[in-house]
Amino acid sequence: MARHNLSTVIGFEFGRNLSKPRFWIITLVVPIALMVVFALVLLSNSATSATTDAQKKAHISFSYLDESGVVNDAIAAKFGGTPTSDAAAAIAAVKAGTSQAFFDYPADPAKQPVKVYGQDKDIFSNGVYGSVAQALLQTSAQQKLNSPQLVKLASGGGDAVTVTYRDGKKTAGFNGLIAPMLYLVAFYLLIILLGNQMLASTLEEKENRVTEMILTTINPTSLILGKIISLFALGLVQMAVFALPLVVAYTLFRTQLNIPTLDLSNLSFDPQQMLVGALILIGGFALFTGTLVAIGAIMPTAKDAGPIFGVLMILIFIPFYIVTLVVSDPTAPIVQFFSWFPYSAPVTALLRNAFGSLPLWQGLALGAELLVLAALVLRIAVQLFRYGSISYGSRVSVRNALARRRGVEARPTA
Amino acid sequence: MDFGDTTVIHDLSFDVRRGETFGFLGSNGSGKTTTLRALLGIYRPTAGRLLIDGTPFNPDYANRLGYLPEERGLYKKESVIDVMTYFGRLKGLDKHSAQTWSLQYLERVEIGDKAKTRVDKLSGGQQQKVQLGVTIMNNPELLILDEPTKGFDPVNRRLLMDIIDEQRAAGATVLMVTHQMEEVERLCDRIILLKDGAARAYGTVTEVQEEFGGLTITLDYSGRLPTSDAYTIASQGGGHAVLSVDTGADLAGILRGLMDAGVTVSRFEPRRRSLDDIFVEVYGDEAARGEGSD
Repeated sequence: MARHNLSTVIGFEFGRNLSKPRFWIITLVVPIALMVVFALVLLSNSATSATTDAQKKAHISFSYLDESGVVNDAIAAKFGGTPTSDAAAAIAAVKAGTSQAFFDYPADPAKQPVKVYGQDKDIFSNGVYGSVAQALLQTSAQQKLNSPQLVKLASGGGDAVTVTYRDGKKTAGFNGLIAPMLYLVAFYLLIILLGNQMLASTLEEKENRVTEMILTTINPTSLILGKIISLFALGLVQMAVFALPLVVAYTLFRTQLNIPTLDLSNLSFDPQQMLVGALILIGGFALFTGTLVAIGAIMPTAKDAGPIFGVLMILIFIPFYIVTLVVSDPTAPIVQFFSWFPYSAPVTALLRNAFGSLPLWQGLALGAELLVLAALVLRIAVQLFRYGSISYGSRVSVRNALARRRGVEARPTA
Repeated sequence: MDFGDTTVIHDLSFDVRRGETFGFLGSNGSGKTTTLRALLGIYRPTAGRLLIDGTPFNPDYANRLGYLPEERGLYKKESVIDVMTYFGRLKGLDKHSAQTWSLQYLERVEIGDKAKTRVDKLSGGQQQKVQLGVTIMNNPELLILDEPTKGFDPVNRRLLMDIIDEQRAAGATVLMVTHQMEEVERLCDRIILLKDGAARAYGTVTEVQEEFGGLTITLDYSGRLPTSDAYTIASQGGGHAVLSVDTGADLAGILRGLMDAGVTVSRFEPRRRSLDDIFVEVYGDEAARGEGSD
């Protein structure tokens, strides 16, 4: 019966939340915003690229004076350039409108700017003079090197592959950071997006005065567990919806959006980090959920519960104020405090786990701490809901609600 | 049962027999709702035991229980059929059976067209019908109704009473908190009167009536009504009086005494005291002060 009821609650809660317009508005805001940004970037990139290409390929007639000796006259001629030795006359010709442009290459173009003079077209088209002047210098320099390899290196090419070792074993570096960091992203998304729903999950029974009907129909533990599981499932739906535009953008518009190729084969999945990360994610989620459900059982309305919810949100962002310390000196007392304090532990520990500074024993101990505390808080939340939520319209005294468990009823507040 | 330093229920012991309709009576604040909540595990008693079928209440019993609490409410943002199906499933029905039962019930109470309407879009009377439907789903063996007619309009009150009658006829045990004494006299096999958290009277309706001094005599007369040790005058005026007499009083002697005193009697109608009278006698002061809630 209990299992049947648990699945019934999950189905009911999941279904009714999915059918709420508010859920979809919140869920779709982020992907729609992402899609708009992607579309703007796409348009902007293609427009910029087209303009740059057009400007580079634009054929103009110009004169130039090269004091550096880098510019190749043959290449310059192809660009439409004619050498000159009289800068003043060339500038005067531009001013008079008899010459389109004049480029004055200094003795050391690496340190000094190339001076470009041209007839005014418009603010965007005027860019063509600078583009042609730079393209001529770049092409001439590459020709001087006479080596594609040197050209690539000179233009900043060439990759460095870093291999690092710890305790004699090769470490994964940045590729090892990505997978465990996803736990942190998941934690934030779950808490931020579903926090309010967790808070309101038991408030609804109270505000609608359904509590007595429910408490005589289903075990409160099954009810609250069912609500939590359905919220977790809703969180997964939201994350899938969020990921959709990213997947579409990467698969279909990667080039246009200048997204670097993601080589998943380089990603490292350290079993220890993944296990500890999962443990802390589940423990942290359960702890925050239990706490929010307990708050919901105490408070008469969602509005009254708001300030306490705000405090919990601050607690999950506080570790980011010391993120550099978390990365550089995980043994610092403040990092240790944030690692072990239950409500800042999930974020701090997940960060440390991703950066590889969370020893296995600490990860397991933290996971155990969170899970044990979550079980305790959930138990209290069930107790508060069971004995406190019939105080319709008024705030429940935690002391009184917990006292009922010992057999002494507190005076009803409503 | 204690609330802080205050003892709300004490020395209370009663039983409800299978298949009977039991009236749980008392003024506001006498402890009726508290007792029911303790029975259903919503409150935990300080001492004593409350058992259903020999065991403490467990939500797994829900498929055999129909409870209409004093504080009523339903999920507001969902459709009627979704809410009823949900409760039906929690009471052990499969989805199809719960839906079928709900639709048939809604047709019966003439709101079949509201099945897909959100609960908060229904009128108060329609919501009462839905609430009642949720209570009696799955034909419960035990119906616990806390002030069932509270807030019901006359049409829904009649419907409710019809449904309670049907459930009784089908063998359900009914435990009912109510202030409607005519309902008690009509429906209840046995009753308990609770005052200040303790039983003031307990038994069949007739036994309780007898316990509270038996009889009243309704009198239409002319002349001067004499005082007597054989009766007390509960009310008089305009040639009409109500006399209270002990059970077993010599009714013929009283009538003869009146006639001997020169009173012309045109109506002399003895009957047991009504529960209404007894209720007023027991709770008159509290009711007038409008004390507390349960």
